[in-house]
Amino acid sequence: MLTLEAIVLGLIMGIFYGLMAFGLTLIFGILKVVYFAHGESFMIGAFAYSLLALWLGVPLWLAIPSAIVVGGVIAVVVERLLIRPLYEKFGDWQAMRDEYAIIVTFGLSLFLVNLANQIFGPYPFRGPELTDVARFELGPMIVGGHRLVAGAVGVVVLVAAYLFIQHSFWGKQIRAVAQNRFGASIAGIDTRMVSMMVFALAGGLAALSGALLAPLFHASPDVGVLPALKSFVIVVLGGMGSPIGSLLGGLILGVLESLGALYISYTYRDTFAFVILIMVLLLRPQGLFGERAREV
Amino acid sequence: MGSHHDIGRTALGGIASVLLTLGVGGAAAQAQEPIKVGVTLTQSPPGSVIQGTEVLRGLEIARDMFNEEGGVLDRPFELIVEDTQGIPERGRAAVEKLITSDEVVALTGEHQSSVCLAQTGLVARHNVPYINTNCWSDDIRKEGHPQVFSPNMYNSRVATAMAEVIKGLEVDSVFALAENTDWGIGQAEALDELLEQTGADVDYQYELLDREARDFTPVIQGVRGENPSLIALIMLPPAAYVALNQLHEQGVIPSEDTWLFEGGGLFSYPDFWENVREAALYGIYFDLYHTEMALSDLGAQVREEYMQRHDGTPSRLVFQAADSLLLIKEAIAGAGSTDPDAMIEWLQQAEVEGTRGVISFSDEPGPLFQQWIDTPFVTFQVTELDQTLEETTLISAPDSGVQIDQLHRPKN
Repeated sequence: MLTLEAIVLGLIMGIFYGLMAFGLTLIFGILKVVYFAHGESFMIGAFAYSLLALWLGVPLWLAIPSAIVVGGVIAVVVERLLIRPLYEKFGDWQAMRDEYAIIVTFGLSLFLVNLANQIFGPYPFRGPELTDVARFELGPMIVGGHRLVAGAVGVVVLVAAYLFIQHSFWGKQIRAVAQNRFGASIAGIDTRMVSMMVFALAGGLAALSGALLAPLFHASPDVGVLPALKSFVIVVLGGMGSPIGSLLGGLILGVLESLGALYISYTYRDTFAFVILIMVLLLRPQGLFGERAREV
Repeated sequence: MGSHHDIGRTALGGIASVLLTLGVGGAAAQAQEPIKVGVTLTQSPPGSVIQGTEVLRGLEIARDMFNEEGGVLDRPFELIVEDTQGIPERGRAAVEKLITSDEVVALTGEHQSSVCLAQTGLVARHNVPYINTNCWSDDIRKEGHPQVFSPNMYNSRVATAMAEVIKGLEVDSVFALAENTDWGIGQAEALDELLEQTGADVDYQYELLDREARDFTPVIQGVRGENPSLIALIMLPPAAYVALNQLHEQGVIPSEDTWLFEGGGLFSYPDFWENVREAALYGIYFDLYHTEMALSDLGAQVREEYMQRHDGTPSRLVFQAADSLLLIKEAIAGAGSTDPDAMIEWLQQAEVEGTRGVISFSDEPGPLFQQWIDTPFVTFQVTELDQTLEETTLISAPDSGVQIDQLHRPKN
């Protein structure tokens, strides 16, 4: 029963990982940018939800979407001010200077962590739980009440995001740009608008993950560091640029971490992610759902 | 036109007046020149910014109080603060800079054992007095540097306090959750040794947790499976808050079957109740300060000043920080100068009334080297939400033994 419980808890954690990785993989798919400040979108969501609810008394049903909006808007501002100049002067994304993106987004990450430290102070904030039920007990299996409700919200949003990408008009544009930015622009797609939309979506989903986990992880300036690292692993595991890969990769990582911590050692829990990363890069560098690519 | 004699007298007078001016001017300059004290602490992540904030508040209060009284040797104190982020190599670089560039006369403020351990060798090489404000790891004193003085708590004493309560509770199994830092590992190991020494028949095990991690559920599942009689929590916020809440989420605490003993002085953090709710109830908390604890005049002044400035009850770190600067002040006054050897020699023989008792340092080699052995501590139990420190139930105090019969258990 402990194993089943570990799998369930791992799957729930995998949903939150998936929310993070989904946006990250979209950004990579569209812009080929490794966005190092993604963890800070998680942090922004955690703070936005916690402070809106705790300081301003915003109802929880409104605080959650508000956190998504805050995360999305800040990501759009980042894209407009910091990311767009990197590719705007180069007609083709292939000519973009990736190393600049790495430096800019890494610097942005450090800046946002320290800015949050200055604005919100050193003390963590525990966001309010979405339910008053402390825990659900199914026989000997125990799952925290908030964890279960937050996981359910995460599933709904992830499915909606996936359907949006696969079937909506905008989603098709995103996929077109991901396949060939230059070709999509010739076909009349506003690639700059698509890039901005992807950043909004990625920032919003990461912020949602942070908001849902704020009661469990507590909002603090560095709360997004570890989730961001794990979402990088998931993106590699699922295949860079593959939304379905990021969803499944999140679930796989969540379960493996949970079982590994239970049966091998908790001390190495966060190491499992990086072992997986090394194994994937060695055995299947394109990831589970990625496509082999070679540059000519 | 004067004679040669007059000229000589005038010249001598001129030289004398110049020398006098220089001398007086120099003395005046020295009178105004502040005494620089180097402070290293955590002001930004990933280290404990909460601790760093409290330490800085305590040092600033002490500095202002001492400077109002004229400082020491008619010179005011100046604190030169460096942020270490809780990273050992940054702490080492900060010390190097403070000593060689800022030319501080003493160092203090550090509150994370890993950083202290990276710094002490360096201060020994430069021969600068170092007052360890809050690094509990026994390894710091085992190094035996004469420049390092520890007027704070230490791991083996916390472990002793834990072991006494554990023995009194007559529990048969203890599971410690410790953060993977020098402090956490050291305290988990010290508890193991102390439990053996007390002769308590206890099955003891511990798990190390990453202080950067935020999901401890898998290990807590394991703890729940073990059903220990007592959980010892040896972690700092925010990870400590997260662990407490996840223990509650999994139904481990509060419980009729399992006690919680918190060994990091968590309750006195200003944000405790905002981050921990039901999970805190019926826990036994270790701390270095309680409102029922006797404070010296200085301690009472520090407490009052803190409450005026920051609208809350000061944590132990505030008093520890004030004690640290007090020791530097007294060492300079006692030595009559900022000469490091004279200050160190004075401190080795010192008996200084600090905020919570008379501080003196042991010369016993090993983990007690230049440690204030009789650091006062308390243990108390929290029984209601939002309890203040004075409303908690005192289980042990500096002048009393452990009162196990005062403890309450929740009904499942």
